[in-house]
Amino acid sequence: MKVLKKNDRRLKRSSVGKMIRNLFGVLAVLFIIWRLYLVFIVQNNYGPETWTRLLIAGLVIGSVYALIAIGYTLVYGILFMINFAHGEVMMLGSFAGFFVFEATNAINITAADGSVTSLTNAQPVLSIILAFLVGMTFSAMVGFFLEKIAYRPLRKAPRLIPLISAIGASFALQNAALLLFSPQTRNYTNPEFLARGAGWRIMINETAVILPYTGVLTMVLSILLMVGLLLMVKRTRLGKSMRAVAMDKDTAALMGIDVNQTISNTFIISGALAGAAGVMWGLHNGILHYFVGFLPGIKAFTAAVLGGIGNVPGAMLGGMVLGLLEAIGPAALDISFQLKDVIAFVIMIVILVFKPSGILGEVLSEEKV
Amino acid sequence: MNSEKYLRNSVQKGFIFSIVMIFMMMIGFHVVAANLTSKLFGVQVLRGSIPEVVFMAYVHLFFAFIFGWGASDKNRPSKQRVAQGLVTSVTTAAIISLFSLLLVFLVEAQLDIREYLTAFSADYMRYFVLNLGRPGIITLFGIYTVTGLVGTVTALFVQSDRVQQAWNRAKTSVTLFWENANSKMPAWAQKYGKYVIYGGSIIVLLILPVRWGSYLNFVTSVVGLYIIAGIGLNIMVGLSGQLMLGYAAFIAMGAYSMALLNAPTPHGIMLGFWPSLLVGVVMAMIAALILGLPIMRLRGDYLAIVTLGFGEIIRILLRSDLLVDFTGGPRGIHAIQGPTLFGRPFNSSSDFVYLIFFFIALSILIYQRLANSRTGRAWLAINEDSIAAQATGVNLRGYKLLALIIGAAFAGLVGGIAASRNAFTGPNDHSLMVSINVLSLLIVGGMNSIPGIFLGAFALRGLPEILREVETYRQLAFGVLLIVMMLVRPKGLWPSSRPIMENIDKAKVKKAKEKVKKTKRKSKDG
Repeated sequence: MKVLKKNDRRLKRSSVGKMIRNLFGVLAVLFIIWRLYLVFIVQNNYGPETWTRLLIAGLVIGSVYALIAIGYTLVYGILFMINFAHGEVMMLGSFAGFFVFEATNAINITAADGSVTSLTNAQPVLSIILAFLVGMTFSAMVGFFLEKIAYRPLRKAPRLIPLISAIGASFALQNAALLLFSPQTRNYTNPEFLARGAGWRIMINETAVILPYTGVLTMVLSILLMVGLLLMVKRTRLGKSMRAVAMDKDTAALMGIDVNQTISNTFIISGALAGAAGVMWGLHNGILHYFVGFLPGIKAFTAAVLGGIGNVPGAMLGGMVLGLLEAIGPAALDISFQLKDVIAFVIMIVILVFKPSGILGEVLSEEKV
Repeated sequence: MNSEKYLRNSVQKGFIFSIVMIFMMMIGFHVVAANLTSKLFGVQVLRGSIPEVVFMAYVHLFFAFIFGWGASDKNRPSKQRVAQGLVTSVTTAAIISLFSLLLVFLVEAQLDIREYLTAFSADYMRYFVLNLGRPGIITLFGIYTVTGLVGTVTALFVQSDRVQQAWNRAKTSVTLFWENANSKMPAWAQKYGKYVIYGGSIIVLLILPVRWGSYLNFVTSVVGLYIIAGIGLNIMVGLSGQLMLGYAAFIAMGAYSMALLNAPTPHGIMLGFWPSLLVGVVMAMIAALILGLPIMRLRGDYLAIVTLGFGEIIRILLRSDLLVDFTGGPRGIHAIQGPTLFGRPFNSSSDFVYLIFFFIALSILIYQRLANSRTGRAWLAINEDSIAAQATGVNLRGYKLLALIIGAAFAGLVGGIAASRNAFTGPNDHSLMVSINVLSLLIVGGMNSIPGIFLGAFALRGLPEILREVETYRQLAFGVLLIVMMLVRPKGLWPSSRPIMENIDKAKVKKAKEKVKKTKRKSKDG
């Protein structure tokens, strides 16, 4: 019997699909090079101040995406399912934070000198901490019950079934928020010193670039949370059990780990991070409505895939990269800002088609992809 | 220990029931329910006004009864069941009366929180406690405790052995009667009765649209279009097992082909309905081919999310200024022409219903031929176990791609007809919502089953159109239904008969084998 050599054509995968894939890839690269050439060499409309501004915006939005993406990655790492409703968890956390600020705004406090201020402005740090705590707790609760009601009974089912359930949960949460809070758009009332748009002014080329306080708060807080999460996953007992369950549920159960409890904890943690992201989103962008979780949810999933799904540092990196690409992309490729969302979706498709394991991910087996 | 546990479970149940109740109140469902009840009793309520208090009381009674019914575990002794019912009812009643205490407080303090929770108008809050104010709280407590207990006792009675036996006897006697009647019918009726029923229903369907009036025709055509879309998506999801969330993108292909080729603005090509429809179908198929080739490697959830991304890209592109001269941008395209057949233009609403009926019949025909062909079996094999299918020589990619393309062709058809029927298409007609709607009708009805698709389309699209009151809750119900169906009946309300048929065949084969064995033994003995 003839032994097939490694390069034998018979062993290669079917070629038409691959050829077309590669053709697409080359065309896309050429298109990007052409647009970059146009923008940077031919037109050169934007000075460094514009790029700095876009960079800041990208970093801020990227850190929010990173926080949400961690939730996707944690859940995917353990259950191999896309928690489709994660964006909605973030939206609900954002609403919880909004209500805290509304409540603290409603309470008036008379200071010693007789002037009347709201609690938000009298105790800004307290109210911000309270908003984050309430938002995170509420989102964690939503995540916990979501898993318990919609995912846990389906853990042994074929893979499409929990996904459909997740889509249903996403829809149900979205429309519950629509019916509860009405479709109207709401604005976060920030404490005065954290007002949107206020920030440090950086002079570049004699133009002021604003580094917004809310943006800095977002970045710092999300980095703190991410470091805390990494430490937790690496050092604590809970993190150890999470890693064990992610590796092999049955063996972990044999080693005395409560798998159900660990999965619940994972959902609680990812929910809390999404809640924090939601409050940050509210503080920084200010706009809040029932649909606010959908796009960040999908984009954060993209970020998780970009970094390598199932990989926590990968999700952070992916979030940052996606935020930067999304902020700088439209200007750098000279396409309209309306198409900002298209960039994220295109990145998602491209990554899933060409390199489903992402930047930092281990090579996924066929089973996972 | 054991007794403690079952009572703790009932307390938990009470919590769940009351949370469901409070949530329904918070989304304003109780007024709608009272409205429906008053309609049931034949009392019309003016739009926007609140029906009489009696109906609210009925709603409370109804829910309390249902909660009491569901309170007890079926397999426990009746004493424990009554105790469970009591505990659950009291818990539910206590929490609901606490909640109504809050409502009464809000009403009395004249706090307006409608800015935050839209449903909480003062009238509605007062109405929830039966317009009684503080005494209403105690009344509600009484209603929930007593009616809950009544519900439990009724459940006990109905589920008791004697009633169940009687029920079974009645059921068997009815089936016996039916079989008797069937066998007594003449031979030709037994043989062709089916076709007589089919023919009769076709004639009824042909007459109805003219008699119905335009509103019911509108509902029928929406349901019909969703049926065609459901059949198309079923080829992708049900037969070949590829979860698509970007189905609306293919519908958009068909709709925009129709719109660009058959509307006075922006291009004024005016190609006519039928060629444009064909172009739309072909465009959708080409889009599926282009999308499908690179992503065939993916499966399951990744495929779902990639196709979702594709759908969103198409919608965003259609909305953007980039294509505003070509596709009309966010405002869409108006005045799309209808079809003409043999020189007769389609201008009444019933004409379109006939057209849609024709295409439904055509789709069912194509679907049935496909599903029972070699291709359909290959799809089912891929769906069951792709590796085993590949090992038995099924060209995995080829068949998956084929499923995608054929499914997309149905979408193109739906898009073209819908655009022409509405004389309008815009980017918002092709949002993710549409894809999810089609998917949920498929899942609720049952995959791979034509009656299931009809049922799903009617339940999810037809019923909310007819019961206008519940229209606002439709999307929420879709989401909840998707979860509940997955938990309770993942095969759908009217599941495909194929596995059952296969089991029957197996049973037949078993019987035949046994017969052969017996005859062999006999021959040996002889």
